[in-house]
This record gives sequence, C-alpha cells and structure tokens, in this order.
Amino acid sequence: MLLPAVELRGLTKHYREGDSERTVLRDVNATLWLGEIAVFVGRSGSGKSTLLNLISGIDRPSAGSVLVNGTDLTTLDERARTLFRREHIGFVFQFFNLVPLLTVEENLLLPLDLLGRNDARGRLRAAELLDRVGLADRARAYPDRLSGGEQQRVAVARALVHDPALVLADEPTGNLDAETAKVVVELLDQLVRELGKTVVMATHSAEVVGSADRVFLVQHGQLAEQRGETGR
Amino acid sequence: MSPLLRRASLRHLRSHPAQIGLSVLGIALGVAVALAVGLATESARRAFELATEAVTGRATHQIVGGPGGLPEDLYRTIRLDLAVPRAAPVVAVDVALPDHPGRVMQLMGVDPFAETPFRPHLAGEDPLRTVSALLTRPGAMLMSGPAARELGLSPGATLVVRVMGVRRPLVLVGTFEPADSLSMQALDSVLVIDIATAQEVAGFRGRLSRIDLMIGYRPVDRVLLERVRQALPPGVELVRAGAQAGATASMTAAFTLNLRALSLLALVVGMFLIYNTMTFSVVQRRTLLGTLRALGVTRGEVFGLVALEALMIGAVGTLLGIGLGLGLAQGLLHLVTRTINDLYFALSVRDVHLTPVALLEGVALGLGTTLLAALAPAREATGIRPREALLRSRLEAASRRAAPRAALGGLALGALGLVLLLVPNGPVWGFAGLFALLMGTALVTPLAVTVMLRALDVPIAHAGGLLGRMAARGITAALSRTGVAIAALMIAVSATIGVGIMIASFREAVVRWLEGTLRADVYVSPPSLIGSRPDSTLDPALIQRLVTTAGVGAAGTARGVTVASPRGPVHVVAIGVAAGQPPGFTFKRGRPEAVWAALERGWVIVSEPFAYRHRVGVEDAVRLRTDQGEQRFRIAGIFYDYGSSAGVVMMSRSTYERHWVDRGVSSVALYAAPGTDLPTLIGALRARAAEGSAGAEVLIRSNRALREASLEIFDRTFAVTRVLRFLIVVVAFVGVLSALMALQLERVREMGLARALGLTPGQVWGVVTAQTGLIGLVAGLLAMPVGVLLAGVLVFVINRRSFGWTMPIDVRPDILLQGLLLAVAAAVLAGAYPAARMARAAPADALHDE
Repeated sequence: MLLPAVELRGLTKHYREGDSERTVLRDVNATLWLGEIAVFVGRSGSGKSTLLNLISGIDRPSAGSVLVNGTDLTTLDERARTLFRREHIGFVFQFFNLVPLLTVEENLLLPLDLLGRNDARGRLRAAELLDRVGLADRARAYPDRLSGGEQQRVAVARALVHDPALVLADEPTGNLDAETAKVVVELLDQLVRELGKTVVMATHSAEVVGSADRVFLVQHGQLAEQRGETGR
Repeated sequence: MSPLLRRASLRHLRSHPAQIGLSVLGIALGVAVALAVGLATESARRAFELATEAVTGRATHQIVGGPGGLPEDLYRTIRLDLAVPRAAPVVAVDVALPDHPGRVMQLMGVDPFAETPFRPHLAGEDPLRTVSALLTRPGAMLMSGPAARELGLSPGATLVVRVMGVRRPLVLVGTFEPADSLSMQALDSVLVIDIATAQEVAGFRGRLSRIDLMIGYRPVDRVLLERVRQALPPGVELVRAGAQAGATASMTAAFTLNLRALSLLALVVGMFLIYNTMTFSVVQRRTLLGTLRALGVTRGEVFGLVALEALMIGAVGTLLGIGLGLGLAQGLLHLVTRTINDLYFALSVRDVHLTPVALLEGVALGLGTTLLAALAPAREATGIRPREALLRSRLEAASRRAAPRAALGGLALGALGLVLLLVPNGPVWGFAGLFALLMGTALVTPLAVTVMLRALDVPIAHAGGLLGRMAARGITAALSRTGVAIAALMIAVSATIGVGIMIASFREAVVRWLEGTLRADVYVSPPSLIGSRPDSTLDPALIQRLVTTAGVGAAGTARGVTVASPRGPVHVVAIGVAAGQPPGFTFKRGRPEAVWAALERGWVIVSEPFAYRHRVGVEDAVRLRTDQGEQRFRIAGIFYDYGSSAGVVMMSRSTYERHWVDRGVSSVALYAAPGTDLPTLIGALRARAAEGSAGAEVLIRSNRALREASLEIFDRTFAVTRVLRFLIVVVAFVGVLSALMALQLERVREMGLARALGLTPGQVWGVVTAQTGLIGLVAGLLAMPVGVLLAGVLVFVINRRSFGWTMPIDVRPDILLQGLLLAVAAAVLAGAYPAARMARAAPADALHDE
C-alpha cells in the first residue's frame, strides 16, 4: 500500500514586492508517496525553491497546508518546525554548504549531534556512509581540501546520516560538471532507494530528471505532473 | 548547545586571530581604564579611611574645636572634674618631608600615659622603653617599621620634617610593626611624638587639636556623655569618632565621579569594537548560519552561538584588562593622589588596594559590555533565514535603507539625552544624558556619512578619478561595517575634542580669574605641604619686617582655615584688605561697593561653587562653628572662584578675629609703592625675611610667578584627565584598526578583480589608503560639531553640576584641527597593514575563492 510522505493541500504563496504582491504558487495540490523520488523542474523563478522551502518548513504558505509524514507543518511554530526539520528532513544544497570549520567526519556528525545521537552507533553510521560515498580516507580533511564533487558527496551523506524520512535537494548538481554530476546523482539514487527514503529535488539537470519516479513542471504558480503515477 | 557547534565556534575564533585579538585588546583596554580609575580612586578613599581609623584608634567620640583647636585646660576638666576614665589629648598636624619631595605625613602628638587604650598598635615593641624615650629625648619620634625601612631610617637616625615653614629634625627612637598589610598602609604616614613636642612644633602651645574619648553605650555612659557635652565651651563640639573624616572624604566625590565617567567612555568605545567584531563575524558567516538553520539549528541556538563567542572574547579581554588595569592603577594612583593633595586634603597612598568588589566590578563591566555589544549582532544572526545566502550587496542595500531609521532613532536618543541634561538633577543623570547624546550621534553617523560622501562625490572624482570614486563608494557600499568604524572613531575623537575644549575653556577662565584676583605685586606665603592650600602660618615678626620694608606701599593679609559647619567642613578665608586696594573679585551676584561695605559689617561672600553646593544666595545665611559656638553669617555676594571645587566662604579679618581666637596669617599680599623697582623690592624682601628667622622657609613670589605656579597646579590637576583622554584615543585606534582590517580583508576578492583588470599593486594600495583616509576625514569632520557639543555639555552642565563652576566656552580652532588630524592619522595608520596586504595579494589567489 502506498503511504503519503508529503501532502500539499491548496498551497498558495504570495510575496510582497513593494506595494504589490506577487503570487508564486496558487492552490497547489499534490501527494508524494513514501520511497519515491520526485523532481520539480521549471524555469528560474518559477517557484521550485519556494516549494522546497515550504515542504521543509523553512517558509510558511500564505494559504493551504503542508503535511510531512502526517504532520501539518503549518500548525507548528518556528521553533517546532526547526526541530521537526532537524529530525525528519535531510538537505542537499547547490553550493554544498558544508561547515568549513568542521572536518568531513564532523560535518556528517553534526545532524546527529544536534539530535543528541552523536554516540558510538552514530559514529559507526557516519563512517559507513562516508565509506559508501567513497570518502572514508578523507574523514579528517576540512571541506576546503575537497573537490566540488567530493564536497557534494559529503553533503549527500550528511543529508542521510540521521535517517530522515525525507531528503530535499535544491539543484544538487547545479555547481558540478556533467561527469561529476552523474556520479553524484547515481550515488543519491542508489542510497535513497536502498534506504527507502523519499526524495524531493528541484533541478534543471536532465541527469537528475532521468533518475526520478515522478516529474512535476512548476509553471505559472501551478504544479503539472509530467511523468509519474500515470506516465510511468 | 551541540558540542560540535561549540567546536566550530572555537575554530572560527582561532582562524581569525588578528580580528579577535584586536577585539580582545579593545575590551581589555576599556576594562583596564575603568578598573584602574576605580581602583585608584577607591585606594585613595580607602587609604584616607584607614589612616583616619589608625589615628582614631578605638576612640568612640572626639572633642573638636575650630582652626585654633581646643584649650589644653579642657583635657584636665574632662579627665579630673568629669572623671572620664578614658580620654587622650591629641595634637595632629600634617608635615612635609623636605628630603623626600612630595611625601606628606601626619605628625601626631600624644600623651604616652593616656594613649595605650586608644592606639595600642602605636606603642611599639617595648612600650616602657618607648614611653621613656618619647618623654626624655628631645624630638623623639616613633614610626612604622616598614615606613622607616623605606625611608632608610634605623633607630637613632634623624628625619627632617617641615612644619609651618620650619624644618625640624626628629629622632627615630622606636618603631611599631603593623599587624597586616592594610594597617601597614594606614600607619605608613604617621609619626608619633610626645604631645608637648608636638605643641611646640605645630605652634599649638597650650592648645590641643582634639581629645579622643572611649565611652561605652550603657545608660550610665550616655549620662556621662551628656555631662561632657554640657561642660564644653562655645565653639567646641562632641562628635562621634570618624564623623569628620567622612565629611572630608565626601569632598572628592564629584572629582572621582568625573574620572569614573571619563573612564567609562573608554569602555563605550571598546564596546563599539566588540559590536563591530561580532557584527562582522555574523555577516561573514551568513551562508553558514543559514545552512545551520536549514539543518535544524534553532534561533535560540544561533543566538547562543554568537553570544558564546562574544563571551569568550569578553572573558579573555576582561582577564587581560584586569591585569593591565592593576598596572595602570598604580600609575593613575599617583596622579589621583596628587590632585587630591592639590585640591582637597593631604593624603599619602602608595599601593593600589585590590578588593573583591573592584574585581567583580571589572568582570561585570567587561562581560556586561561585551554581551550588550553582542546583543544586536546575535539578534541579527537569529534573523538569518535558513538556506539564506543573502548577497552582500543586498545586505548593504538593507543597511543603507536602515540608515535614515537609525538616524531618526539617534535623534530621539539624542533628544532624550538633552532632556536628561537640561532637567536639573545630579551629575549621574547628567552623565547618563551625555552618554545618550553620544550614542545618538553614533546612530546618526551612517546617514551623515552617506550624505557627506554624496556631496563629496564630484570633488573626489575630480581629484582622484575613477579610482578615487572607487575608494569613496567603497565606504557607502560597505556601510554596515564602515558606519560602525566611523561612529567609533568619531566618538573617540569628539571625546578628545570635547575634553580638550573643556580643559582649554577652564584654563582660560582660570587665567582671567587669576589676572583679576591677583592684583598685588608680591605674595608671601609659607611653603605649603604639596599643593596650593595654605596649610600653615607666617611668623608675625616676619610679617612686621616685610610690611615695613622700604618700597612696600600697602599690604593685605589672608588666612585660610577649615571650620566645621552643620553641613560638613567649610573652607573659610579671612582677608585683611590693604588700604586703598580692594581685592579684584568679580561678582556673579552683588555690587562690589555694597559688598565691601557689608563685609565690614560682618557679612560674608561665598564662591560660586559654594553657593551651588549649599544652595544659598545673596541675603541667605551660612552657619559656621566658631569659637563662640555656631553663628550665622549673612551672604553679601557671590564671587567667581576657580581655586576650590568645594567652595570658599570669605570674610573680613575683623569678623574672623571677632569669632575665632586664631590670629594666624596664611599669606601676605604686598603692593609696591609707586616708582619702586619690583626685582629690587623682591630682593629686599628676601633679605628682610632671612634676618632673624629661625630657619623658617618662606616663599616670596612676584605676581607673575604666583600666577605661573597656580597654573602649574591647574595643569597638574588635569593630568589625570589628559591621561584618560589619551587612553580613549588608544582604544579608538584599536577599534578603527580592527574595523578597517575586517573591512579591507573582506574586500580581497574585489581588489583581486581590480588587479586582474590591470591595477598595479601601488594603485590598489592607493585606493585602500585613500579609502581609510576618507573614513578618517569623515569621522574627523563629524567629530568637530559633536566635540563642541560635548564640550558645551561638559562646561555648562557636567562641570556646573559636579562643581558649581560656570565659565565661558572657548572653542579653539587648533583643538578642532588637532581632532581632525588625529582622526585622519589614526585611520590612515590603521589602514596601512590591510592596504599593504591587499597590494601584495596575488590576483589569482584572491579570485580563487568561490
């Protein structure tokens, strides 16, 4: 039986620009199922990142609701949303966004540390994941010693280390060359499927789109499914 | 908070050693200055208190009289007629040690037989032998062992003291060892001699300074006290021991408050430094903080992170500041003590007395200031949205948009400051108003900078071309950083301008006052202990010889004494006006002719600070304790006087002699007869003074020499203010260095781009130096009006409220120009390192970063 991982209900988002208001998303409805990889595509400024922000609870919708694993994020206050994100969501950013002052290993341990799970088991899991992304030998290195591809592989491992239900990735290959991007996408695909995670990505990359179960086009404030439940 | 976050925080601090180091230094200097002033003033107060306690001993009450002291017979009455079992007569006088310049000690004449219950610590190691030596050996003296060793005296050695202008040799016959370091400090400046010797040395024959009593608190004791009180002649009073000391010590309250306020100014400038560093570290890590927020770090945790970093900087800075402060306090102590000696009372303090309270105060100031300064940046950090990689340009645009709002807030704060200053209340509120005003001007600074640079855009482009424009626009483009740096520099420079103008105005007022007041040609006085206070008298025979010297046309006299009043000790000056030579006072209230006539009828005149402190005006009365009991004296006029912040009551010599038995003369003013050559007259006077005097020293000075000596003392009393002014500039310099370094190092990439486009290292250096120079110029220009405003507040509000002095403000262009040059020089100097570093940077390295 398919279980809903993310439910978007009547989701609307306006932004105030000076005296006027710009609607980025208008009455968006969608359900993403547990364990599937969904991709949002669309032109720059179409609202892809806004959608990710709303799903992660970083931003609040002007109307409608967002349910992640059955929890309505719109009913939570800022702190509760932060704590929810800390536990249930993993992030991969375009610019890797590792903490430059922590080593690769410490970057992986950070989400566990925040959850109070930086124990022997947590460290073992971090080591395993680092091994899986092929960077076990770089555990003690600082991020600035790593290539872009390596940094993004660390970011993928960090997004999964605390066993979140949902992984969000915003242009995860946007800053990588095609060859490296392919490696990262394959790794992400392999890991999330193996671990049974739900993944939502915003991207321009054909490589990423190719690995998706469902693809949504974000256009004119609406979400149109291009490929997925019906098209697969 | 997550241990990993704390670790990341620590690494951030460690990876920016210069930036953090300067902040630590800034807070350390701020804490050091505040702590040092606190310690120095507190040590002086404590030394006074200890010295009083040491010489008061276990006495519960004291019988005190006027300047002439008490009749000796009173002791016999108390002891025999009233049968008070424990009473001890004391003659106390301050003496100078001519062989140890600047050292003042208290010569205490005691009756060895009555003494022991009161001050057992002064009896020495072998009381019997000591008593017999004191009584039998002429000029025998006891002093504390540590002080004797310090002065290189062993038993049998001679110590020369100068009292009433006469050098007297005293022989050390024994020492007493203080029980601990505190009493050692207190007893350091006490010389104990037999009372009969003291009476002779101090010119107190047949009289006593006071009688100490030990009377308990049982009903029978209260009856005894009442009997003692009833037996006292007019003008003599029974007081609780130490009551007078408290009143004397309170005279310095305004002086120490002013110093504390100035020292806090250094801390305020240090606060800017922390604010700057923390804001910069937040701006630097916006993306990182955004990432952390996306990973689930709460706002509270981000706030805690920034606050923790600030706390670490504050803790290290405070520790360092306490160490520095202890050293600095020792230096300031000397200046503070000298000023107290010059203006208030004789005091000898050698060591800084560190109390846990002072230490806690230093810690609280350091950490409190740091946390207060970090509050805004920490709040700013919590406002960073998760994943937000806000472009620097957008942040700066937001800063520029915020500038008018900040200016409005600044104006409101400034207005509040003005209200606090204008509403008549104590000096503490005055200082609060002053700080509000200063912070207000700091908030207006970013907008003022924007406006000024916009106005300067065309001339800058004309003079410096595109590179000049680049330098100027770099300032407004990074307003979030430059605004703070300029504000800090502006505050510091305006403080130096303000304090400079205040001192100059004060000095000018003193010069005019001296010119008006000192009208005689020659002044004669005994050498005072240290400062300008007339604390001893001239020999009447000497006066007679001097006034009858050929060439002397007229002579006036002055006698300065401290007398008790219901509102504490009052400085009274009795003047004997020379025939046809009315003193040159300038009156604030009262017509001179009417005033002089009233003075002859027994009225008095009071100085401006006295009228202010005691809230009295013309026709009101002053109550003074005379030798005939407490008397009321009507006030005929208020005169300008910058000689004493405590205030002076002046009366005619005849009025003084009617109410007090004292016939001493502190100084004589001589007017040369027409056609007399002044240098010849002074030579003749010196020759007459030397005739027949028993080694008495006397100062015979021309009008000009006295004026110069007075100004020298004036300059000396402001030495400590000048030191503080300098320290504020040092803190500001560290602040500007830190801000400019942070600012310029942040722009390495931008300059790398410029280098890649073809700018030579010299041109890069030029752009950076021009920019820092412009920052200094803008800060200096803004500091000018703020400095004048500050001077106005200091002159018209603070000085008036603290001391009661009014004076015209003297805005000297050279002080303004000095301030401007100081600002530019500080900024250029602070920008030298970043400029050199950026000029050296390889373009490829600068552009390498993402």
